[in-house]
Amino acid sequence: MKKIILFMLLAANLVAAPAYAATQTIKVDVNGMVCAFCAQGIEKKLRAMPQTKDVYVNLKRKIVAVELKEGQSVPLDTVKALVNDAGYDVTHIEAVGQTAQEIKAGIGKE
Amino acid sequence: MTIFRIVRRLPACLALLAGSAALSATAAPMGYKDSWMTMADLGPNWRELSLNYALTATDALGVDEAYMRSDDKQSTLDLSDLTYTRLLHRWNSADAQANLWFVTGIGEAWTHNRVTGISETRTMWSPGTQFDYETRRVYFAAAARLYRATGIDHDYGSVRGGFSFYETEYDETQPWFVLEARRMHDLSDKTEITPMLRLINKGLFIEAGVNNSHQPRLNFMYIF
Repeated sequence: MKKIILFMLLAANLVAAPAYAATQTIKVDVNGMVCAFCAQGIEKKLRAMPQTKDVYVNLKRKIVAVELKEGQSVPLDTVKALVNDAGYDVTHIEAVGQTAQEIKAGIGKE
Repeated sequence: MTIFRIVRRLPACLALLAGSAALSATAAPMGYKDSWMTMADLGPNWRELSLNYALTATDALGVDEAYMRSDDKQSTLDLSDLTYTRLLHRWNSADAQANLWFVTGIGEAWTHNRVTGISETRTMWSPGTQFDYETRRVYFAAAARLYRATGIDHDYGSVRGGFSFYETEYDETQPWFVLEARRMHDLSDKTEITPMLRLINKGLFIEAGVNNSHQPRLNFMYIF
């Protein structure tokens, strides 16, 4: 009986938990990001987070990658809100297990 | 110079001290939330310096200092005003962005006529709107602004279009060719046409050109 209760509590906790990034980089697909002059607002907003280690912006692929410091996490909704505050629309957001530089290098090879 | 006149010049001084310069209807007239934007539009007959702060993602308050001169160089107007900028709507798509803006200002206009020697000070208001559309290679903007005071109508209209010579990445300087046509009522009977070279590097935006009256133009914008 105790095991069943424990299992139910764990399951309920998983359902209620916010979408925290378990990995070190949050990758965002952004609509409207056509000009560096305007898009720099996204970089500044994301770099201002205390958890941020690095930010990578790619206008051609319309992506922004926020690499987090070791052991840090940020709710995906927080990143999404910052991008929206900078004036852009998020079409997709996910946590990935690559650094910002690895994402940059990967795009460079394509 | 009276204290009032010094206070009247303060916005321009602040903008200059902030490393600024000014321009209207060049690109987005405000930055992202919690950012400062300085702008300049500099030429012999029209000079404008402005500074604004984005209180939200869609609202900015600022100060503006403008100088206007008629083609015959006889009439001049100095305007110092407080401005409000509102992003009415933004359309974001995968490869483009379009914006509809509302801008307004209220302040003091000081006019002077060299022939008559008459100088007057009046309250001026300056509502306007701007639409712009941009991709990574193409730019278009249309703007209209009313500069009105008792006995004064210096309405302003401009259309600009341009293209980037090539696509660049986020950290690179992007060169553009931009052609602007603008008219200023009661200041000039001519449509001013100015081809310009535009350079953008992150928060820095510079345009330079020579208009169809062989006068230099320099536009400048900086976000911080």
